Amino acid sequence: MMDISKMRNIGISAHIDSGKTTLTERILYYCDKIHMIHEVKGKDGHGATMDYMELERERGITITSASTNVTWKEHTINIIDTPGHVDFTIEVERSLRVLDGAILVLCSVGGVQSQSITVDRQLRRYNVPFVAFINKLDRTGANPYKVKEQIRDKLGHNAVLVQIPIGLEDKFQGLVDLIQMKALYFEGPNGEEVVEREIPAELRAEAEKRREELIDAASLFSDELAEAFLEGAETESQIYAAIRKGVLTRKLIPVFMGSAYKNKGVQPLLDGVIHYLPNPSEVKNTALDLNDGEKEVELKADPKEPLVALAFKLEEGQYGQLTYIRIYQGMLRKGDELYNPRLRRKFKVGRLIRMHAHEMEDITDAVCGDIVALFGIDCASGDTFCSPGINYSMTSMYIPAPVISLAVFPKDKASADQMAKALGRFTKEDPTFRTYVDPESNQTIIQGMGELHLDVYIERMKREYRAEVETGMPQVAYRETITQRADFDYTHKKQTGGAGQFGRVAGYMEPCEEKEYEFVNMIKGGVIPNEFIPSCDKGFQAARMKGTLIGFPVVNIRCVINDGSTHPVDSSDIAFQQAAIGAFRQAYEKAKPVILEPIMKVTVEGPSEFQGNIFGSLNQRRGIIVSSTEDNNFCRIEAEVPLSEMFGYSTVLRSLTQGKAEFSMEFLKYGRVPNTIAEELKKAYQEKRRKEQK
Amino acid sequence: MVRKELIRRSPLRALEKSLKEPLRKGEIAVVASPKGIGKTGCLVHIATDALLQGKQVIHVSFSTRTDHIISWYEDIFKEVARKLNAAMEVHDEIIRHRVIMSFNQEGVKTQQIIRSLTAMIRDGNFAADQIIVDGYNFYLATTEDLRLIKQFANEVGVMIWFSATVKPENEKIWNRDVPPSLKPFEELIDVIITLGESDGSILVRLVKDRDSYPRKDLSVHLDPKTLMIVEEKK
Repeated sequence: MMDISKMRNIGISAHIDSGKTTLTERILYYCDKIHMIHEVKGKDGHGATMDYMELERERGITITSASTNVTWKEHTINIIDTPGHVDFTIEVERSLRVLDGAILVLCSVGGVQSQSITVDRQLRRYNVPFVAFINKLDRTGANPYKVKEQIRDKLGHNAVLVQIPIGLEDKFQGLVDLIQMKALYFEGPNGEEVVEREIPAELRAEAEKRREELIDAASLFSDELAEAFLEGAETESQIYAAIRKGVLTRKLIPVFMGSAYKNKGVQPLLDGVIHYLPNPSEVKNTALDLNDGEKEVELKADPKEPLVALAFKLEEGQYGQLTYIRIYQGMLRKGDELYNPRLRRKFKVGRLIRMHAHEMEDITDAVCGDIVALFGIDCASGDTFCSPGINYSMTSMYIPAPVISLAVFPKDKASADQMAKALGRFTKEDPTFRTYVDPESNQTIIQGMGELHLDVYIERMKREYRAEVETGMPQVAYRETITQRADFDYTHKKQTGGAGQFGRVAGYMEPCEEKEYEFVNMIKGGVIPNEFIPSCDKGFQAARMKGTLIGFPVVNIRCVINDGSTHPVDSSDIAFQQAAIGAFRQAYEKAKPVILEPIMKVTVEGPSEFQGNIFGSLNQRRGIIVSSTEDNNFCRIEAEVPLSEMFGYSTVLRSLTQGKAEFSMEFLKYGRVPNTIAEELKKAYQEKRRKEQK
Repeated sequence: MVRKELIRRSPLRALEKSLKEPLRKGEIAVVASPKGIGKTGCLVHIATDALLQGKQVIHVSFSTRTDHIISWYEDIFKEVARKLNAAMEVHDEIIRHRVIMSFNQEGVKTQQIIRSLTAMIRDGNFAADQIIVDGYNFYLATTEDLRLIKQFANEVGVMIWFSATVKPENEKIWNRDVPPSLKPFEELIDVIITLGESDGSILVRLVKDRDSYPRKDLSVHLDPKTLMIVEEKK
C-alpha cells in the first residue's frame, strides 16, 4: 500500500506565458514518463503532453485541468495543471480544492503581474502552501532578485531565495544551491544529469550572504536551527525541516529558479516539492454530515476509515465519461459499492484508473490522499462519493453566479443535435457555465463568467462537437430590487362557469439585505388555510423571476403575508398562487424598484506612459478608479467598472497602449444602474415587449 | 444625525477656526511629526471630512500596498459615521470621490507625480478638490520640487495637505518652530502644523499660518487610539 507521507498533490499556478506548460512537461519528462520533449507550440505538431486539447494548443495556453501522476525519488506526485486565465477562475478554484500544495510560477522578466495576484489570492482563500519558481532566467531582462522582492512587496509573502543563478540571460548556466552550498549544472542532451560542482569563486560571497538571509528567515521556525546556526553547526536536514515548517503555515516562501525551456532547474524544484510541500495527512479536510444537520466532521487520512471522495473534474473521453476524484478518507477498491448523497444513489466502481499524461493505467485500489479516475459514473463535478452507511458531503464549493449571457443558434439540424450534446457536457464539467432555453424567444441561452469564458465554449462546440453555431450579442445579467417597503392587499377572483377561483392575500414587501428572497408567514387565525401558504410562496417566487422594469429577476426582497381571506369552495392552490402574483405586481411599483448591474473589479497593468489613456478609457466606461500604483515605469490601476461597459475592452486597450498593457477582471458586486441608463434599458424592454406582442 | 450636522460638529471645524481663514485652493499645508505619532490617521481624517462635504480627494502615498490605505479610510469612516443616518449609502457615495495613487519613492521624481496627478485629473476626468500627500520625503526634495507642486496646485485649483516625517533627534529644536527639514520650503508652504507627544496625549500645534507664526498649542488633540483629531475635553 502506498505510504501517505510519500504522496504529494500539487498544482502549478501561474500567469499565462510564464512557461507553466513547458515546466509541467519537463517535470513529466524528468520523472521518466515521456520520452521526447515537445515544445508547447512545437513544429512537430505533437504539442506538450499535458496540453492536449486542440484549442489550447492553438492558443498556447492550458484551459482544462488534467491530473497527472508521476514518480520522483520514491514519492508519488499528482500534478493538477491549473489554468492561468482569470476567466476560467472556477477551474482554478476547483483544482485548488483538491491540492495540498502548489508551485507558483513567475516569469523572471514580467514578475508579479495582475493574474499572479489573482492566483495568489486563490491560493490564500484555500490556504494552500506553496513554493515559488522563477522561470525563464535565459530571457533578456531576467532578474530573479527583483521578482523575489515583488513577491514580498506586491504579494506580501515572506519570500526567501534557496538558490541563486550562475549567469543570467544568454549566459545562464546553472544554479547555486544555498542549502547544500553546491553549484548545480544540468548536462546531457536534455539536462537530465544534475552535476554538482564547487561554487564559482566570484559567486562565493554572494552565496554566503544569501545563505545567511535564508537561515535567518528559516530560524524563526526552528529554535534548534537558530541555536545550531549561532554555533556554526547547522545541518542540511535542520534547514529543510525549518523551511518546511514555515511553508506549511504559509509564513515562508522558498524561491526556486531556472529555465524550464533550457532544461535548467527543474529537478531541484521537484526535490523542493518533496522537501517542503505537505503530504495529504498534513492537511485538514472536513465534510458535512448530512445525517447530523450538516455538522462539520473532520476527515481522517486513514485507509481503515469509511471512504469519502470528491469528484472534482469530469472529462468526456473516447471511451465515455471519466470522473477524476480525490480520496480524502478510507480506501477504494475496484468493484466497491459507493454512495452519491446528492443523487441518493449507489453505484459500483467498475474501472479504477490512474492517469498519466496521455495514457491511463488500470489499478485495483487506491488510498486516501490519492487522485484517481473512475469510468462511466453518472455524476456532476463537485459531487461527493462515500462508503454506503455514511452520508457526508464535502463543503460545497464557492460558485459565483454567471454575469453574462449569450444566445446561440445552430446553423442546421445536425449542429443542433451536436450543440445539445456539447452543452450537456459543458454544464456537467463546469458549474459556472449554464444554459437554458428562453421560453419567450425560444432561443438557447448560455451563461458564464465573462466574454472569454463563453468564447472558449463556443470554440469547443465547433472543434470537438462539429456544431456550427452563430451567437447573438452578449447580454449582461441585470437584476432588479426594491428600495422601500410597500403594502399589498390583492384579491384574485374568477367566475367563468365551472369551478371558480378565489384567494385574497395582504401584507407587504421590503428590501432584504442578507438574502436573495425570503418569504415570511405572519398569518394568524388561519385566515389563509395552512395548505395554501406554500402556494403564496410559490406565487411570489414566480412573480419575482421577472421584474416589471426590464424583465430580470428581483433580488434582495422579503415578502410578508399577514392577512387574507378564503372561500370554502373556490379557493385552491392555483388561486392563491395567482393572488400572490397579483399582490407582488400591485406592490412592486410602490416599492420604488431599481435596476442593478454586475460591477467588475478590473485591474489594468502597463507602462506608465499610457497611464492617461488607461485612466481615460476606464472613465469613459463609467469606471471608478480605486487606486493606481506606480513602480518605476510600470503602473497598475484598479477600478470598478460595470460589466456592460467592458465588452471589447481588450481590443480598445490594445490599440490605446500599442499592445503593451493587459487587464484582468472578476465579478465584484451588483450595483445600481444610473438613472439615465436605467431609462434606456426600460425603454428597450418596452419596445421588445411591444414587438413580441404584435 | 444628518450629514450637515455631522460636518458642522466635526472637531476639524475647531482646527479651521484656529486659522485666520480656511485653507483655499492653491494653498499648501503640512502636518509634521516624528514617525509613528499619527500623521496618516490625521490626514485620512481630514480627507474623510472633505469627502463628506462632497469634495473629491486624491490620496497620494509612497507605499506599494494600497489596501492598507483603504483600510485606514474604512476605519476612520466607521469612527466618524458612527452616528450618521444611512451611513452605508454615504459610504458608497464618497468612495466614488476618492482615488488612491501610490508611488515607489525611490524611483519617482516630483515631475512624474505631477504628471500622473494631471493624467488622473484630465484624462481620468477626476475633478479633485483636495490632494493628500502622505509620506513625502522633504529631506530628498528640492525647493524646485516644491515650487512645481505649488504651481500645479494653483493651475489645477486644488489644496494640498502633506505629511512630513521629521527625525526625532531634532525634536527639541523644532518643538514650536518650523521643523528644520521644512525650513528651505517655508515660503512655499502656507500652513504648518506639528504633532507632539506630551504626557500620553498628542498635542496639535499651529506653527505657521500664512504670514504669521502663532507657535501655539491648539484646542484640538490627536486621539491616541483612533489617531483622529478630537476637541479638548473640558
